[in-house]
Amino acid sequence: MFGKKAEGWQKSGAAGWTQGGPSADRKQGQMSFKQLPVSMETDKLWLIASNYWESIDFGKRDVGHVRPFVRVLYLVAVLLFAGSVRAEAEGDYAQALVPFLKTYCIGCHGGNAPEAKLALDKYLESSRIQTDIHIWEKVLRMVAARQMPPADETQPTETEFAAAQRAIVAELERFDCSSERHPGRVTLRRLNRAEYNNTIRDLIGVNFRPADDFPADDVGEGFDNIGDVLTLPPVLLEKYLAAAESVLNEAFARPELRRRLVPHVAQSDSDRREVSERNIVQFATRAFRRPLTEADKSQLFELRRVARTAGLSDDEILKFVFTGVLTSPHFLFRVEQDPAPDDEDGIRPLNDFELASRLSYFLWSSMPDDALFELARQGQLHQPDVLASQARRMLLDPKARALVDNFAGQWLQLRDVAKITPDPERFPSFDEELRAAMLRETELFFETVIREDRSVLDFLTADFTYVNGRLAQHYGIRGVEGEEFRRVALPEGRRGVLTQASILTLTSNPTRTSPVKRGKWILENMLGEPPPPPPANVPELKDEEELLGTLRERMEQHRTNPACAVCHQQMDTVGFGLEHFDAIGAWRDKDGRFAIDASGILPGGVEFRDASELMQILAEQKKDAFCRCLTEKLLTYALGRGLVSYDRCAVREILRRLVADNYRMSALVTGIVLSEPFRFRESKGEP
Amino acid sequence: MTYQQTFSRRTVLKGLGVTFALPWLESLRTAQVFASQAASPRRMVCIFVPNGVHMPDWTPATDGFGFKLPYILEPLAPVQDDLLVVSGLAHDKGRANGDGPGDHARSASVFLTGAQPRKTSGADIRSGVSVDQKAAQAIGHLTRFPSLQLGCEGGRSAGNCDSGYSCAYSSNISWASESQPLAKEINPRLVFERLFTNRSSSDAERNRAERHALQKSLLDYIAADARRLQAQLGKNDQRKLDEYLTGVREIERRIERAEREALAESTLVAYKSPTDIPSDYGEHIRLMCDMTVLALQTDSTRIVSLMFADAGSNRSYRLIDVPEGHHDLSHHGGDPQKHAKIRQINRFHVTQLSYLLQKLKSIPEGEGTLLDQCMVLYGSGLSDGNRHNHDDLPVLVAGRGGGTIDTGRHIRVAPETPMCNLLLSLLDRMGASVDYFGDSTDRLWTLQV
Repeated sequence: MFGKKAEGWQKSGAAGWTQGGPSADRKQGQMSFKQLPVSMETDKLWLIASNYWESIDFGKRDVGHVRPFVRVLYLVAVLLFAGSVRAEAEGDYAQALVPFLKTYCIGCHGGNAPEAKLALDKYLESSRIQTDIHIWEKVLRMVAARQMPPADETQPTETEFAAAQRAIVAELERFDCSSERHPGRVTLRRLNRAEYNNTIRDLIGVNFRPADDFPADDVGEGFDNIGDVLTLPPVLLEKYLAAAESVLNEAFARPELRRRLVPHVAQSDSDRREVSERNIVQFATRAFRRPLTEADKSQLFELRRVARTAGLSDDEILKFVFTGVLTSPHFLFRVEQDPAPDDEDGIRPLNDFELASRLSYFLWSSMPDDALFELARQGQLHQPDVLASQARRMLLDPKARALVDNFAGQWLQLRDVAKITPDPERFPSFDEELRAAMLRETELFFETVIREDRSVLDFLTADFTYVNGRLAQHYGIRGVEGEEFRRVALPEGRRGVLTQASILTLTSNPTRTSPVKRGKWILENMLGEPPPPPPANVPELKDEEELLGTLRERMEQHRTNPACAVCHQQMDTVGFGLEHFDAIGAWRDKDGRFAIDASGILPGGVEFRDASELMQILAEQKKDAFCRCLTEKLLTYALGRGLVSYDRCAVREILRRLVADNYRMSALVTGIVLSEPFRFRESKGEP
Repeated sequence: MTYQQTFSRRTVLKGLGVTFALPWLESLRTAQVFASQAASPRRMVCIFVPNGVHMPDWTPATDGFGFKLPYILEPLAPVQDDLLVVSGLAHDKGRANGDGPGDHARSASVFLTGAQPRKTSGADIRSGVSVDQKAAQAIGHLTRFPSLQLGCEGGRSAGNCDSGYSCAYSSNISWASESQPLAKEINPRLVFERLFTNRSSSDAERNRAERHALQKSLLDYIAADARRLQAQLGKNDQRKLDEYLTGVREIERRIERAEREALAESTLVAYKSPTDIPSDYGEHIRLMCDMTVLALQTDSTRIVSLMFADAGSNRSYRLIDVPEGHHDLSHHGGDPQKHAKIRQINRFHVTQLSYLLQKLKSIPEGEGTLLDQCMVLYGSGLSDGNRHNHDDLPVLVAGRGGGTIDTGRHIRVAPETPMCNLLLSLLDRMGASVDYFGDSTDRLWTLQV
């Protein structure tokens, strides 16, 4: 997300732990600006402005005419509060960042010939964030990854690193989003395996799953639907051809399916051609997910003519033409036109059919249904209220299961549950039945958050889950038997997805728990604050008993290198909070002979006794980081591209909606669907 | 040349009932028919193993002929005379060079390209054209398939692969262009079907020429579609359609070829259609080796890349009593117990390599064997998995490259000699000479005495 961002957790002290996005204060209904970081104030102003914008904008296609007004309102508001805002912001910048730049950066990145042509000495007065945000994004990435300053130069302390990062993040948050629009540009996406399977299912009417035999799609940004990463090797085109032929052979051999594909029947020889062409147009229109152009039609009719001249039967002709449709780039790729030269700012709103596909591939990993097509035909889908209500409808459709398979499957890495290999000697109770139950539990839980439109904070703190007999036994929950899953209240100690066996096992080694892996996983995937990478050639923890005590005691003894200790303190504290769960997620009171201690003190001095308390603290104090992380992941998935600096503005707005609507899942989804990157396309960013 | 043993396509398709334990015996003459056109062409196979190797048990103690096989290489005893172990090569572009961590991703993407991969988790992936693809560009048109990409792991399906590098870098070693990694096939049955069966059953009865004419019309249609679309799109999108059009052209070429070689196509090796991915990992690798041999033997292609596992693979090797993950273990921290397990894994991989080499050697071709015509490059893009160093790489070449490589030796090159020097010299031998490759500085003249 935003390249390799590692803000936030590095923050030390209570201020860092509690500060964040726009939510903390709003929930309490307070407006005490002085205590708040800058971002919250500007965010609030933006809230006022954009509420106004929405109130007059629904139902209108072009939003351009309201923008100047928004800008004026915004500017007035900013000026009103400018005094207090600026004082604090400059204080942070001047105190934390400027000395850092002077001491560690401008020696190389300054003067007449700065390294990498990056001159940082021009930022000693001001960050110039409004024009130079891309520079700061880059600086943050390099600092967060500890790539700068180079290893052979004087190194800042971890505290200095953390303070510098915090100050850069604060500068980035000060960026005024109203100054320029940047919806971004998604590279032409081909259907990935899941999307191909689902599209064929919805187009033909049977779940053939031909793409199961396709080569794996490469993953980028944590997901396998990223346009830039989805290449098309020759072997895949072969598979597309073969799949199209075999699917159509099967479909034409089954009368009920054939009727669906070939609904129009010729009454006489004289209208054979016309009817045949009507069938072709109908199929191709659905397959291409848009009305056909005259050029599309004439090409397809020409293909029909070729087949007819070759003497094929009527059905064979159609099969042949349909094979062409299913291997056409218009079917295999999700085509969106770039803005025309006369589009203002090089930005154009997506048309209704493009939006229908964006919606359906986001929420269903499949083609649009009839309702979406109909709204697109009527030219209504782009209206924000229509878009939002369609998104809510789609979330309740069984096809939204695709979000569980593909989004949760990758965000929570549930797809890897199939690959976990606990050591059978140490964990004899692990078997295929338990593996399946673990996976199902988390899937059902995620489905519930969608279906019941629950708060996304339930991922952290829910006090219920789903178990069948096997999993209940594993968890020590009484009174549940049989294969069927049912909803149960969780015992004290277990809360939310992070205490579900699937994730606890995914983040363990085959032979033992790994508090480091668990901690790192939570920082990366739940809080969006990945720790910096470890230095090379670090000695590993030895399994033999030369150090005594629980794993925790041994790791603490082992952790003598201060360079490691700084980051590990953060990862390990969280990871050790989950030590009551063994490497396959079962409860335990002891690790070998030693009693488990799952308590800890988080940065900022917040104490917890066990996983329940830890989750509660995460949901309260790291709420903003969690929501931001989830938003960034879901937006990445929805757009099929990695987020870049200007997407901060969209994320800010989506978060605002999420908070305003009690953290509901549907608010997150509609926020994304209504965001500029989702509805618009720009030609900038094109190399 | 006689055709005493020929098998119709139909026989093979139905062939589940027909089991041949040693298919190469039957298909020998067929293979010679195919190969005779080019008087025993040279072949290139590139095999990648992840996470480095325990070097003290890989590197032979002495140089030159008659070296003693170290523990990891011991399974290669039956083919020692066909080996050239090359010590001391380096892949400088696998190093961070300012890009920070991510040595595993780089170790795979640099292995056959010698190019510094661009650090990106999504937008604008960039590496370089790989050595197998460079060869395929030169001689790929001579065979039905310009090259094959095989593997045993399907890439990560979730999460991140390595420190900000897209998984494309970790799960592919073949790159058709600097922006196009070539996905690999991991299911032996599907490889077999792709090589040897005609998927189009609907019109199997219709005569070949007519079928081909129709197929070509279809390809013309989708290619025209792609070109029209391409004209409307931006540069990144155009590149996607370039990939598409390359695929179309490759299929077209194959159809034209099939027309010319109707006779050849009607003859096939007899090999029982393999299973889907077996649960036994060793069997999986061996099946992929079988597919490699079949493809080379029938001259379906002359170029194969094969990843025994993906970069950074954390597979557990319970079948050789190593339950820990390979990547976890490779960070051994100097622990002798972990060393012992790592070398078990290394030796396991080499055992599978030995299987492949012995199969190649069992097939006579021309005056010698199929292995004599091959150059099987085997190695890892990392040396020590703990240090993540990209010098002193574990590399060997098997086969004599049609008499252009003097095998049976262990050679040592000067430290920091680019691995690309070796790759450049392999290209020469494939009839695909270029002036330089990757960061090559010279040719590796010591391939011959």
